[in-house]
Amino acid sequence: MRTLIATLRNRGSDSDARTDGGEPAATRSFFDRDSVRSAPFWLPPFLLVGLFVYGAVVWNFFLSLTDFSGIGEPDYSDLDVENYVVAFADPIDGFLSMFGLGGEVGGATPAWSDLTVSPVWNSLGNTIALMVGFSAVCLALGLVLAILVDRGIRFENTFRTIYLLPMSLSFVVTAKFWLYMYNPNTGIINIVLGVFGIGPVQIVQNPDLKLGAVAFALIWQFSGYAMIVYLAALRGIPSSHFEAARVDGASTIKMYWRVIIPQLRTATVSALVVITVFALKAFDFLFSMYGGYQPGPSADILATRMVREAYANQNWAYGSTIAVILFVMALCIVAPYVYSQYQRGEL
Amino acid sequence: MSSDMNDDGLSRRTVLASAAAAGATGLAGCSSLTGGDDAPENPIELLHAWSDGDGNAAIGALIEGFEEEHPDVEFANEPVNGAARGNLDQVIGNRLQANDPPSTFQTWPGATLEKFGEAYADIEGDVWNDDLKENYLPGPKEQAQLDGTFVTVPLNIHRINNLFYNTAVLEEAGVDPESLSSPADVVDACAAVDENTDAVPFAQQTSGSWSTIQLWETVLLAQAGPDGYESFIEGEGDVDQVRSALENVVALSEYYPSDASSIGFTEANTMVMEGDAAFIHQGDWAAGAYSGSDDFNYGEDWGQVTYPGSEGSYLLNMDSFPYFDNNPSPEATKTFLSYCGTTDAQVRFNREKGSIPPRKDADVSELNTFQQDQYDDFTSADSQPPSIQHGLAVSTQIKTNITDAFSGFLEEYDADATAEALVGAFE
Repeated sequence: MRTLIATLRNRGSDSDARTDGGEPAATRSFFDRDSVRSAPFWLPPFLLVGLFVYGAVVWNFFLSLTDFSGIGEPDYSDLDVENYVVAFADPIDGFLSMFGLGGEVGGATPAWSDLTVSPVWNSLGNTIALMVGFSAVCLALGLVLAILVDRGIRFENTFRTIYLLPMSLSFVVTAKFWLYMYNPNTGIINIVLGVFGIGPVQIVQNPDLKLGAVAFALIWQFSGYAMIVYLAALRGIPSSHFEAARVDGASTIKMYWRVIIPQLRTATVSALVVITVFALKAFDFLFSMYGGYQPGPSADILATRMVREAYANQNWAYGSTIAVILFVMALCIVAPYVYSQYQRGEL
Repeated sequence: MSSDMNDDGLSRRTVLASAAAAGATGLAGCSSLTGGDDAPENPIELLHAWSDGDGNAAIGALIEGFEEEHPDVEFANEPVNGAARGNLDQVIGNRLQANDPPSTFQTWPGATLEKFGEAYADIEGDVWNDDLKENYLPGPKEQAQLDGTFVTVPLNIHRINNLFYNTAVLEEAGVDPESLSSPADVVDACAAVDENTDAVPFAQQTSGSWSTIQLWETVLLAQAGPDGYESFIEGEGDVDQVRSALENVVALSEYYPSDASSIGFTEANTMVMEGDAAFIHQGDWAAGAYSGSDDFNYGEDWGQVTYPGSEGSYLLNMDSFPYFDNNPSPEATKTFLSYCGTTDAQVRFNREKGSIPPRKDADVSELNTFQQDQYDDFTSADSQPPSIQHGLAVSTQIKTNITDAFSGFLEEYDADATAEALVGAFE
């Protein structure tokens, strides 16, 4: 072991230094390349992650092309896209139904089932609505909180902790907690509404408010995270920018709008990625709130639908299909971010 | 170049070798200890989700009784605990995929058996002997079969078509529960409670859909009769009967607690115990909570009637232990299942569980008065239809469709649309 460490330590110095700081690549053997020499360190994790993460993603994709359901072994010899056809059956009415328009959405009967299987339009629409609504409000609220905390207020650290604390709770705790908060008789939301002469309002099983109530609870939980990201970015802006804006006679609002917020682009994008991924994972919250993976049509998201198909119905292939749809959605969010980072040379 | 070159090469090899060794050790840790011989001496591996409360006490009493009678048969030291029933199915599913079934596990009989259908084996003769066939009533006996083959042993029966009430509240409201004879009468009685007392007429939780499904199935049984109920679960339901039962539930929902959607079963049941609610429709596990309370006694403070209109029927919810093909402990499992089919086992188990034995010849004097009354109802029932919510009546996929329909019903209370969805659940 000692020789190993000594060797590692001496790695950089075992060849003669050159005045131009390098040596011609052509004269180095394959085994001397840095990438190869460091292989023992990066290769095992690379292979493990490749196999267990990306390999599983690819495997899941192939599984979604089979007819696998019930117990037994999937048959990979007969692959087709039938499950995707079923998932997006009745495309016109289905697409319109995501905006509350169009006629009744029909299902389809795949070869592996005797029963009609409904398409994913409803849960897809809810997932997108939750994702967009939750992320937008969460970021906006996080920004406002960050600006307020950044104004040099007293007890700044205390406030920062208070805002961030909900994030440390698990979804299970917050779901039970909000079930109680939304109680029409004793919940604080209805007590507050009562002060303004509204209510009491049924929230938990109200089709018009359900998804909004879920989004609201998630915003409560994650706006603190957005705040922290923005706060860090605000602290990174030189105070000369604030001063220059002041000297030029900008009002506070104008100063933030014209000078500060445009500099928060990177922070916004990175917070957005994390927050939308949280929205995709809202499964645990719904599961705890509605005591199972059937939160009802107006709050059903792809994640609950996926678990229902896979574990309640044992329609493994169809569950995989929904998983692939979710994966593609997550990719759609992450890919532009990664690409923009790449273009700016930050990757 | 320094003379370290040779040294360096060796070291690199050392590095690679250490990395490979570490990797191999890691992978070795992943490989499970599968295989093992098929010797019948394998201990019984029983997987269940009764990890606490009355369920845990009941399974403990059952295993204790078995070990007294068969001290030579071994149980795997620690049965799987802490899993919810849904997770348990997942565990079993994974084990079956790996062709490594346990000896037996806790499952609903009836149509739920279809889920792992091919994995079960026939135990007629070995376990289901003439004694069992003679002493199980037709309803439970039918539920023990998968396509006419006996594959499982039902252990207990919880009844679904109960209406529990708080005596004091009903007296104050001037309602006689014995006089109710149809689901519509229950709605009228609720109106009387609403008018004459401050109590909530009908304690119900609607944050999850299961309570509403079992209420609806009870009302359907009461209104359409066992035949109409039977047609529904066979997929030939009459949409008018289904709608009419839903409409009755809509009418009852006017009398739910105003925070029904934010509470769970325990809170709803506590309302009855504390005199804040008059009625609750539940399986007889509701009575388990009452018996835990010293000043809330059967016959004095609370009572139970068969859900009005469903007299003569005992709506079944059962647990059972099936027999897997490719069993790790074939003989021991059969011995255990045979024991589960005895009155001794069933009385031990149900005394703790609050349910009743499925055998008609059990000596129930050790059970409490309420259980004895239920047992009398059971042995004199004309029909023992299977519960939809509790997995006996329909296969899992149809049940998912039904639960989907009810999760929508809880949002809109739209009887027409839900009736269509329920009848369509079989298509």
